[in-house]
Amino acid sequence: MIDRQDVMRMARLARLELSEEEIELYQRDLNSFLVSGRKLQQVDVSKVEGTSHAVAVIGELRPDVVGESLPQEAVLGAGPQVFNGFFKVPRIVEGQE
Amino acid sequence: MRRLAELLQSKQISSTEIVRGCLERIEETEPVLNAFITVDEEGALAQAAAADRRRAAGEPLSPWDGIPLAVKDNISTSGLRTTCASRFLRNYTPIFDATVVERVKRAGLPIVGKTNLDEFAMGSSTEYSAFGVTKNPHDPLRVAGGSSGGSAAAVAAEQVPWSLGTDTGGSIRQPASFCGVVGLKPSYGRVSRYGAVALAPSLDQVGTLARKVEDAAILFSLIAGADPRDAVSAGAPGFPVPVWDDTVVRGLRVGVPEEFFSSGLNEEVEKAVKRALQNLADQGAVLQPISLPTNEYAIDTYLTLVTAEASSCLARFDGVRYGERVEAADANTMFAKSRGAGFGHEVKRRIMLGTYVLSASHYEAYYEQAQKVRTLIKQDVARAFQEVDVIVTPTTPTTAFKIGEKRNPLEMYLSDLYTATANLSGVCALSLPCGVDSQGLPIGLQIIGDHFGEELVFQVAHAVEESVGRGTGSEV
Repeated sequence: MIDRQDVMRMARLARLELSEEEIELYQRDLNSFLVSGRKLQQVDVSKVEGTSHAVAVIGELRPDVVGESLPQEAVLGAGPQVFNGFFKVPRIVEGQE
Repeated sequence: MRRLAELLQSKQISSTEIVRGCLERIEETEPVLNAFITVDEEGALAQAAAADRRRAAGEPLSPWDGIPLAVKDNISTSGLRTTCASRFLRNYTPIFDATVVERVKRAGLPIVGKTNLDEFAMGSSTEYSAFGVTKNPHDPLRVAGGSSGGSAAAVAAEQVPWSLGTDTGGSIRQPASFCGVVGLKPSYGRVSRYGAVALAPSLDQVGTLARKVEDAAILFSLIAGADPRDAVSAGAPGFPVPVWDDTVVRGLRVGVPEEFFSSGLNEEVEKAVKRALQNLADQGAVLQPISLPTNEYAIDTYLTLVTAEASSCLARFDGVRYGERVEAADANTMFAKSRGAGFGHEVKRRIMLGTYVLSASHYEAYYEQAQKVRTLIKQDVARAFQEVDVIVTPTTPTTAFKIGEKRNPLEMYLSDLYTATANLSGVCALSLPCGVDSQGLPIGLQIIGDHFGEELVFQVAHAVEESVGRGTGSEV
């Protein structure tokens, strides 16, 4: 069973702020999902490797040539907060100005 | 579309007239349907005018130059808002084109607008869009399906001749089935995913929707083939439009998997699909009962993998480089608040599930286990294709359901029961109409082909279309 603490922990890992209602909702959903997830655990997979891609593409290389880059101004244009050619974020390192 | 191309070529119609026709039709039907998130009237008319100038100069970019299309709103279009039907991206305008968009533009196709979807393509009904639900053109009380519901409805309602969608577990085929149009999910790697906003990169493919099999094939021919910007497309051949030959059906080995005709399948759907199968047999196809025993696990496997991949893919929406931001004093709170406010319920639900199955203590039991079951599903499909040339099934267990009918998310996921297997195994699959039920709702038939087997799938679909003999409307 998944309890409230588990839900809060997942939300923290996923960087997701949830309302009280959502915490209850997802606790219920996670629990009902686990029922279906457990169905898979009964399948015998001892003889197979996992599939990570539908079609394995291994070591596909392309020539290492300089292509066209997007202009910095345009890229920054989509940012909600930009300053002086940078994306602006809240302070993440404490220290002097 | 060939007729439209001829009319353009002989100057009996202009691209501007076609685009105006689309815009009028959209104006007339959109208040009911809500198939579009953004209609780019100005841009579409400008592109049409350019197409007309090229025609006048005798320099069309392709035979289809000037025939407009609609693009699902999770595919990047330079200078045209791309929201993924999310509040998070409601004001986001990309600065580059997805490869598929670049390619249709290179063929001269004007983009009329961006179509509605379930937020970030997570859903099977377009009900999880931050821009409202898309209605089914055959019955506005019912869903158009999803997640490419807008792309399917726009084609069915003749708002546009054809459209692009994406399919991760059935998101092109299921709405195509519900709306009575043709929808192709290409083989994994056949079409570049560059610029299509990722839901689950090991499953996602961009594909085409149209009212006729040939038109879906023509549009597919414009977007298929390798692209250095998507490594998994490296081995992809291009796709020439087939020369139709309905005699391919003679001696064709058609696999009919018993698991797809069992409990949960609506009787009328079963009847219509079996009638189409009988038609194929009458034309000389050999129907072969086959078994795909692991299909029983397809939805659970799909769900585990798609939530895991989605939770990882959506980490990029952090309120720093694009999208909406909710300010906070520290970075982690800013991320959490922005994501909490920007994402809808279904997206958060899947991120939560995905985070759970990927977390250290559950990774092996859920995620790794699902990857292994996926191998078994792949093996089942590969084994089937040693015995048969194509597999034919219903596309969905039922016809279009009512808006608001499916309240339980697990119940919603079940509408991908017959479609997810093709994504998990990487093969191609197409849905086309094969009749209507007693309420007049379209029924879809799914033709699954082997990896890169699109040519044969289209040939068989063409033969079925001819035998069903049901044209679904004019060309705008």
